[in-house]
Amino acid sequence: MRSEHPNHILSSFDSELDQLRIDVIQMGNLVLRAFESSMKGLFEQDLGPCNDVIAEDDIIDQKEKLIDANGMSILLRYSPVASDFRAAVSSLSISRSLERIGDHAVNISKGSRKIIKHGKFPEVKLVVPLCEATHDLLNKALSAYANSDSNLAMEVIDGDDRVDKLHNKLSKGLTTMAASGNGDVESLLHLLFISRFLERIGDLAANIGEDVVFISSAGDIRHT
Amino acid sequence: MVTTAPAPKSDLMNVTEKNVEPSDKHVIAHVDNNPNPISAEDAVIEIDDVSFSYDGGKTNVLNNISFNIPAGKVTALIGPSGCGKSTLLRCLNRMNDLVDTSEVTNGQIRIMGQDINANEVDPIELRKQVGMVFQKYNPFPKSIYDNVAYGLRVQGIKSKSKLDEAVEKSLQRAALWKEVKDRLNSSALGLSGGQQQRLCIARTIAVSPKIVLMDEPCSALDPIATARIEELIAELQDEFTIVIVTHNMQQATRVSDRTAFFYLGRLIEYDDTTTIFGNPSVSQTEDYVSGRFG
Repeated sequence: MRSEHPNHILSSFDSELDQLRIDVIQMGNLVLRAFESSMKGLFEQDLGPCNDVIAEDDIIDQKEKLIDANGMSILLRYSPVASDFRAAVSSLSISRSLERIGDHAVNISKGSRKIIKHGKFPEVKLVVPLCEATHDLLNKALSAYANSDSNLAMEVIDGDDRVDKLHNKLSKGLTTMAASGNGDVESLLHLLFISRFLERIGDLAANIGEDVVFISSAGDIRHT
Repeated sequence: MVTTAPAPKSDLMNVTEKNVEPSDKHVIAHVDNNPNPISAEDAVIEIDDVSFSYDGGKTNVLNNISFNIPAGKVTALIGPSGCGKSTLLRCLNRMNDLVDTSEVTNGQIRIMGQDINANEVDPIELRKQVGMVFQKYNPFPKSIYDNVAYGLRVQGIKSKSKLDEAVEKSLQRAALWKEVKDRLNSSALGLSGGQQQRLCIARTIAVSPKIVLMDEPCSALDPIATARIEELIAELQDEFTIVIVTHNMQQATRVSDRTAFFYLGRLIEYDDTTTIFGNPSVSQTEDYVSGRFG
């Protein structure tokens, strides 16, 4: 949207809006990397990536604080309107969603550590379809933001249904296995929680998609 | 399962690229500039294809302006200097008649259905219905009381009790009564700038106009005095139709219901204020309100 318009007369306004956007993209990449590491730790039964995700979550948190501070500064000092206003407000909203995705990556890593410490658990492979679908959604949401692509953002919003269905199917399967005493019940419960965290990441990716649509068209498509 | 992450490097390069366009690219686009029009039934002012010239018709400073201003609302006219917004405002109570070579060269302005430029319309009578508050507060060098009573006396009202009542009511409506009630006979020139402007508003509304025109009424005031005038505008809206010219974008967003954006003597866009400042239809409007040219 912004590229359709000439620069602001006040060049600092342009540079601060640009920097805010860059910070959100960078935060998105940090979160995506945390998500991928948490999955690597789970599927490869490797404590290293899990510990990295937990240790590096503070970097994501600090990035959120930076974006909040800079976004509020822009709102306060430049009183942006129209697409500038939507870009500034949505950056704050997207950074909040990203921070929560980071938290879920930490939750997944903590669950994975417990599973790993409990011994070999081949059932983790059951999460692969849900994990791939969630990763695809998050990846697309970040690309949609970076490229101001509202069509891709709509794909993300629509794709959340598939993640929900995969989560529901997996939950039922894991619950049945746990109830039948078939497998390590404690690890199955951790896997159930991980499934839930992945489903939440899908929701948050969809929220980012809604923000991208709002930036480009001013349309509020939440809860529609 | 891990797919490729979005390419951050190229994205970052994209976002730092500037799409530089010189301001002279802001040519007039032929798009729907009035997507949510006010119907004639809801309008108190109908501006119908109006063009206006200051030099006997050689050059128009307003070109084929058409839009309706709703009754009981605040309408803001915005645009860069020289766009014609103040000229249009002055057309609404024929203040431009004071400039010899000025004339409406095309179209019609109707107020409450009456063509205000028709031969039978007396501009003095028109200005009783369409009052005006100017950029620089201009109280008469008289007492506070006499300033407010001036228009009523011109109308022939001599009764002291009627004048007292009208002066108090007008000063109360202008949110000035409490500050001046004990010094009504003091010179108006001793008031602060903000108080003088509110006195001018009291003087304007004392003759009970239907419409109040305001030409940058806060541009000479400090932020507190400005806030008081803006609060006053919100209160007066219940009784009067207000048309305000302002260069202050935030002021337009705060006080107005509808906003018309002008550029180079043309109406570029007219819509609800929340739309003009939130999601305008015309890119020129967005470029102006977001500080990209002007």
